[in-house]
Amino acid sequence: MEQHLKIDLHMHSTVSDGTDTPEEILARVREAGIALFAVTDHDAVKAGRIIPPLLAEGDPAFLTGAEFSCRDEEGKYHILGYGYDPDAEPIRKLVETGHGLRMNKVQARLDFLKKEFGFAFPEKELNWLFAQDNPGKPHIANLMVRLGYAETKEQAIKDFINRIHFRNEYVRPEQAIQSILGGGGIPVLAHPSYGDGDQLILGAEMEKRLQRLMEFGLQGVEAFYSGFTPRIRGELLSFAERLGLYVTAGSDYHGKNKLIDLGDTGLDEAAAWPEGLRRFLNDTEKKQKKHEI
Amino acid sequence: MTIELKGRIDSNNASQVEKSILAQLEGKSREAVVLDAAALEYISSAGLRIILRIKKNCPDLRIVNVNSEVYEILDMTGFTEMMTVEKAYRVVTLDGCEEIGRGANGSIYRIDQDNVIKVYNNADALADIQHEREVAKLALILGIPTAISYDVVRVGDSYGSVFELLNARSFSKILAEEPEKMDFCVQEYVKMLKKIHETQVPAGKLPDMKETALSWARFMQDHLPGEAGKKLLALIEAVPHDDHMIHGDYHTKNLMLQNDEVLIIDMDTLAVGHPIFELASMFNSLVGYSELDHETIKRFQGFDYETGRRFWHRSLSAYLGTNCETKIREVEDKARVLGYTRMIRRSIRRKGLENEKTRAEIALWKEELLALLEKTDTLLFSLNELEIDAEEDRLQEVQAFVDEHLEAADCPVKAQMQIAVAVEEIFVNIASYAYVPEKGKAKVRVEVSDEPVSVTITFVDHGIPYDPVAREDPDVTLPASQRDIGGLGIFMTKQIMDDVAYEYKDGQNILTLKKRL
Repeated sequence: MEQHLKIDLHMHSTVSDGTDTPEEILARVREAGIALFAVTDHDAVKAGRIIPPLLAEGDPAFLTGAEFSCRDEEGKYHILGYGYDPDAEPIRKLVETGHGLRMNKVQARLDFLKKEFGFAFPEKELNWLFAQDNPGKPHIANLMVRLGYAETKEQAIKDFINRIHFRNEYVRPEQAIQSILGGGGIPVLAHPSYGDGDQLILGAEMEKRLQRLMEFGLQGVEAFYSGFTPRIRGELLSFAERLGLYVTAGSDYHGKNKLIDLGDTGLDEAAAWPEGLRRFLNDTEKKQKKHEI
Repeated sequence: MTIELKGRIDSNNASQVEKSILAQLEGKSREAVVLDAAALEYISSAGLRIILRIKKNCPDLRIVNVNSEVYEILDMTGFTEMMTVEKAYRVVTLDGCEEIGRGANGSIYRIDQDNVIKVYNNADALADIQHEREVAKLALILGIPTAISYDVVRVGDSYGSVFELLNARSFSKILAEEPEKMDFCVQEYVKMLKKIHETQVPAGKLPDMKETALSWARFMQDHLPGEAGKKLLALIEAVPHDDHMIHGDYHTKNLMLQNDEVLIIDMDTLAVGHPIFELASMFNSLVGYSELDHETIKRFQGFDYETGRRFWHRSLSAYLGTNCETKIREVEDKARVLGYTRMIRRSIRRKGLENEKTRAEIALWKEELLALLEKTDTLLFSLNELEIDAEEDRLQEVQAFVDEHLEAADCPVKAQMQIAVAVEEIFVNIASYAYVPEKGKAKVRVEVSDEPVSVTITFVDHGIPYDPVAREDPDVTLPASQRDIGGLGIFMTKQIMDDVAYEYKDGQNILTLKKRL
């Protein structure tokens, strides 16, 4: 029987919507005995700059990562980028675009809340909000609860924040994929069967989606994911094998925000690993070495 | 611990739902956690992930009352393979529905022209329903025509399983409404019974009826005098293991005529064992339960006590393949030993000894049982009739069958050998000519009578009409070269037997051989 190291290539820090700072994440990764990890904040690469200087001899291996929210006429996608050079121009631009869209959205939501419901946000709170790396609905909702506009975060989102519908302004999947490739990284579709987190895409529909994204340059699928059943995992692994895609494993750990354990990916360290995963680990290792040189 | 899921669960409220579930689980045992999805309308993948996380913490997690849309999602995503997921059951009322059958564990009602529903007596019947589905499938695979339920529904506080049964009538109903069809009913009832008893069951698939009967006998130890109790146990213990199927509740309400096809239903009592166990339960339902109060059978089967008795007697006669009253009586007595045992135990356990009628019944059955135990030395019996493919290589089985009866009658060796010659001649003749070029069956019936001690062997086939007796005897005084080749065999048979008679009746060749022993 093979015995592999523990890996987790999908987790969020306070740079996006996780509750652990990159430093805290590193501490937890060490504690969990994970040998290889990537922090994949939404539309942000900051953790990739913070963590490497903190790594000491004997620490787990670190891979740069990010999770980009994308959309097109066919649906919504979360696309992971791994092993890119954080200083590369295409990546910087992609993050900026994503961040810019996000900030515009926050502003639009605040305007809407003020106009529609008369909720005013004091200067101090606004400064805090915009100082966040990646503010979104949860941050606004937290503020609303703090200011007494809503009872709970969930109520704030459901009754107020979600009332506004935006004109579509988003990053397209080909944009994200091309930028990741341009930055020397590997684009991987996150939790493929769940779309952007709330859908269910299986069978022929899934295959069609993968083939379309592969035309844009997609190279892998996150077949091992904390929220997948063995059946879903099996389906993705067979697609990966047939289409020659990389396979990755991630938990989607968010700290206290979601009850997912670090390292819970459904990957069995004692079982034989699929070829796509072994190939991914080999190729990213080479990439990492190249960046270091 | 039951937790209710309500409305929609998607990314908007998933974390809230998860927190609420975790709060409910706080400090409680993680065993036997049930998610009740009766009010759950929709679940997105955000909700599925919650279920997966709870499952990781509560390994025995079950989800119940799942509507069909949600069930489909859970099924597609493989959740149904990881945990127990029970569908929400359609609710059916039985107002105005006719009861068409009744078995040990439930009653059968017709809900519309094409469908019937079996309602189980006990409230927590899902395991029983599952069991019955499995054994019915097994029976069907093994060649027994039966109906398999396609849906489970909620009926009051219990469950029902739904079967398609088009235009079906039970044999009880036919006997009650058209008594002139008695012959047909007996014939089909016995045909199905034989089919069941000829069916071999792979080891371990069905319970062993002998074990069940032994448990009755053990129960009876407190209710019978010491010697009688011991004898009862010994009689059952002496019944050899038998891996052939028995239905276990084979009465006329469980046999259905659907168009021209006969179906057996109510399969939950299916078991393996010696046919005597089957005969015992047949006796009970057709006669035994109604021996004291003749109205009982009317309430249960719809026909009267006399009809029940006659049907039982004629079925037993056809099943054994004999008209010999002594033999029929003998086997009936063996069946009654087990039948009374079962009824006494059942009455004591169900009603206790509190009411007068039950007390009187138990007293009657016990009296009969004690008298029977007195004179019974074995519960085994043999059939007088063998139905077999009319093919030459089955001859040995036919010979063995005939020998068994001759030996039991202490037939002298010489006569036994002579009879074997005659049996070979006749059977090979049928195998060679009756059905050519097709194939068919032959029945061989052996009956031994006491006064004078004689054996009667009857061969029946439904092939080409042929009367071997009418053939002129060959002239055996001629030299061998001038003799007719055929006809010697039947000539020998006539020499060996005391009487050879042929009859063509109802499309059958019936050849009867008699010999005094």
